[in-house]
Parts: sequence; C-alpha cells; structure tokens
Amino acid sequence: MDLFEPTRQAFALLVSGEPRLWGIIWVSLWVAVLAIGVTAPPAIIAGFALAKLRFAGRRVIVVLMQALLSFPTVVIGLVVYLLLSRRGPLGAFELLFTPWAIMLGYIVIALPILIVFTVATVQGADPRIYETALSLGAAPSRAALTTLWEVRFGVMAGIVNAFGRVVSEVGCALLVGGNIAGLTRNIPTAIALETSKGDFAQGIALGMVLVVLALGINVALASLQGRGGLE
Amino acid sequence: MRPPLFALSALDKRFGARVLFEQAALQFEAGHGYVVTGANGSGKTTLLRMIAGLEGAQQGTLAFRDAQATVYEYPEAWRREIVYVHQQPYLFHSTIEKNLEYGLARRGIDADQRRIRVREALEWAGLSDRRELPPHKLSGGEAQRVALARAKLLDPALLLLDEPTANLDGEARQQVLELVTALCLADHTVVIASHDPEIMRLAILDRMVLAGGRIRME
Ligand SMILES: Nc1ncnc2c1ncn2[C@@H]1O[C@H](COP(=O)(O)OP(=O)(O)OP(=O)(O)O)[C@@H](O)[C@H]1O
Ligand SMILES: [Mg+2]
Repeated sequence: MDLFEPTRQAFALLVSGEPRLWGIIWVSLWVAVLAIGVTAPPAIIAGFALAKLRFAGRRVIVVLMQALLSFPTVVIGLVVYLLLSRRGPLGAFELLFTPWAIMLGYIVIALPILIVFTVATVQGADPRIYETALSLGAAPSRAALTTLWEVRFGVMAGIVNAFGRVVSEVGCALLVGGNIAGLTRNIPTAIALETSKGDFAQGIALGMVLVVLALGINVALASLQGRGGLE
Repeated sequence: MRPPLFALSALDKRFGARVLFEQAALQFEAGHGYVVTGANGSGKTTLLRMIAGLEGAQQGTLAFRDAQATVYEYPEAWRREIVYVHQQPYLFHSTIEKNLEYGLARRGIDADQRRIRVREALEWAGLSDRRELPPHKLSGGEAQRVALARAKLLDPALLLLDEPTANLDGEARQQVLELVTALCLADHTVVIASHDPEIMRLAILDRMVLAGGRIRME
C-alpha cells in the first residue's frame, strides 16, 4: 500500500487548518487538560498524605491505586457508562455521550497515576526536607508544599504520564463519548473511525499530532529538569 | 529562683527493644549554653529531635516558658522558637538567600526586613561572596555555615545543633567552630550535641552526658 500519498495529504490537511480536523484536536486537548487540571491538586495532596501520614487503611489504598494503574481503560469506560446511563445512579445528569462523560473517565484513569507517582516521589524524598521546613517554623501544610516543591520533577512526571495516558486512550472515550462529530470526537476515536473507513490521510494527520503532543510534553519536562536540576 | 527556659521530665524513649531513655530529665536555663555528649548511638540526635518536636516518645513531659506539653503532642507554636539544625543540613534547591529567607517569610516578616536580615546573616557567616551560588555547589563547611546562619537569623529562644563540626576538618572546621563559639557567647540558649574536644572544652558550656538511659549534668 502506498504510504507516501496519504502522508502528503495529511500534511496538507494540517497546514490548511481544516476546521473539522482542528476541532477534533481541540476536543482532545481541552477535555484532557481540564481533567488533569481538576484531578492533579487533590491527587497530589492525597498522595502526600498517603506517603507521610500513618492512618488505618493507608496500605490498602496504595495497593488499590497501584492495581488501578493497570486497569484497561475500556473497562473504566464501561463502569463510567453504567454510572451515567439513563438508569444508572448518575443518569439524571444526562452526561452520557457528552465531553463531560469523557472527562469523568479521564479523571478515573488519571487519579491513580497521579497518586501513585506522588506517593513514590514523596516516599523517596529526603525526610530532612519536611523536618527542615517544620523546624524553620513552617506549618505542616506549608512544609508539605515545600517538600512537594523540592521534588516537583517527580510530581510533574506523574502529571505528564497521566496526560499522555488519557489523550491517547481510545476505549473509554469511544464508549462514553460515542464519537459524535463536532462534540465528542477526539484524536484517538477519530483515528479509529477514519482508518476503518479507509481515510488514511486523516488518521495519519491526527496520529502525527498525537505523537507530537506526547513527545512534546516529555521533552518539555526533560528540558525543565535539565535547567532546574542538579547537574 | 527563675524557672528554666525548657524542661523535659519522665522521658521514656525506645526503638523496639532498644531502650534509649528511661525516666530521663533535663533543664535548660535561658542564656546558657550546653554540650550533650555520649557514645555513638547513646541518643544525642534522638534527644535533640524530641526537644524540637521532630520525633515522639513513649512518654515524657515538656515545659517551655510557662507552657506544658507532652512529647507526643508537640505544640505547633514552639517550633517558631525552638530550631533544630541537622548534622548534615538540608538546603533547599534554590538560592542561599532563599534558604535564609525561608523562616523569616514563615513568620510574616516583610520583604524589606527580610533582605536586611539575610544580608546581615550572610556577613555573619562569612558567606557574602557565596550568595549567588546554588546550594548544591557549596562545600560541606559552607553548607553548615548556611544552616547556622539560617537558624541564627530567626533569633530562636532555643537553638539545637547536632554535631556541627562532625563531618569537617581543617579550615572549614575552624570556621564553623568560630560561628558556634560566637553563638554561645551571645545570649542565645544553645544546645550542641558533640564529641568534638574543642567544643567540649568551651568553658561557657555546661556538659550533659547521656549514659544508661539517663541524662547526667556535669
Ligand atoms: N528511626 C529509628 N528507628 C530505629 N532505631 C533508631 C531510629 N533512630 C535512631 N535509632 C537508634 O537509636 C540509637 C540512638 O541513635 P542516635 O542517632 O540518637 O544516637 P547518637 O547519640 O546521635 O549517635 P551518633 O554519635 O552516632 O550521632 C541508635 O542505636 C540508633 O540505631
Ligand atoms: Mg547523632
């Protein structure tokens, strides 16, 4: 099969600023960014608490979160579908097949990633960070922030990982979003559809955007680490 | 008689089966300096950490000024006045100035005041020409001096130093010794865990020895 011609068309599509194509990219972006944005702060706080505080059930929660990491996103999509479907417990909100349904799925996917990365990072952090902050007069909440700031690259790696995972997953977005053009069609679900229809140029164009996105944030993280890091 | 600045009584501290303190007690008078000695593993570090509220214990009563507390419910407010410096201090990965500012900012001191006090402290520690360096580029002696300056500029009622000269030798050790001596000569109440003979020889310091689960004044 000829790969060259559809790839050339893909570039042409991207450059021409075709609104349908960029609409799909936009849906992917805003839903993922907003989902990570609302999930990260509580997940990071929870991760810190799980790493530092001793309370009943702590181990169980950490193990559960680690197990959730390897949960197939299509199964998470199924659960969200059942929750949001008309007769489900959240059916009254009528969110199924809207971007908000996808976002809910993304939150469930991102939460354990963010928590597990934060727990590992904080547990690996030098205990003197928190103690030094406390002893210099910081309140415990402030000392926690100082600790997170000192190990921010580990925490940011969690954010990058969670973002990469949600923007690229197909199963959950397809199931609860319904792949509705102009509403819930995002990059991965569009690739699946266009490819199955034989429109490879669209698929390749979107695939390139996805790869650039995933690589881009990783490169951004790495260069930040290089600059603010320890040489 | 004036009540002591700080007192600790009926202290029991164990790590598993290892008993470090059993019904131990101590007192610090305001304006005095103390050196805490004892064999390796006798509990010097642990004792300072408990006084600073960084470590709990099975039992123990604390008194600071007019207030009372227990070792397992350390009052938040005391941390503003009782400052502990690790044997190998941790410096935040920013600038030396930010490190020195940290405690002042937590006390709500405004930026102008902070700048003045940071500059004074840098001068005191002989670090004025080092202010631009990121902390991880400092030598061990310089890092210890930053940590001493960072604690001193908070003007703590009780300053706890854990083996400030232990990892140093030569000129670096002399410089830190000078700062420690200066702290003891000023009216700070300083408690130093150390077996550095030169610190133990400082005539202004009262000696405390840890042995057999007790704290003995000499
Ligand atoms: N978190 C801990 N868990 C278990 N044991 C501990 C802990 N911290 C200290 N210990 C033990 O308590 C004892 C006293 O330790 P500590 O560090 O207070 O001694 P030290 O007098 O400061 O010794 P050094 O002169 O080597 O600094 C040691 O035997 C140590 O192994
Ligand atoms: Mg020690």
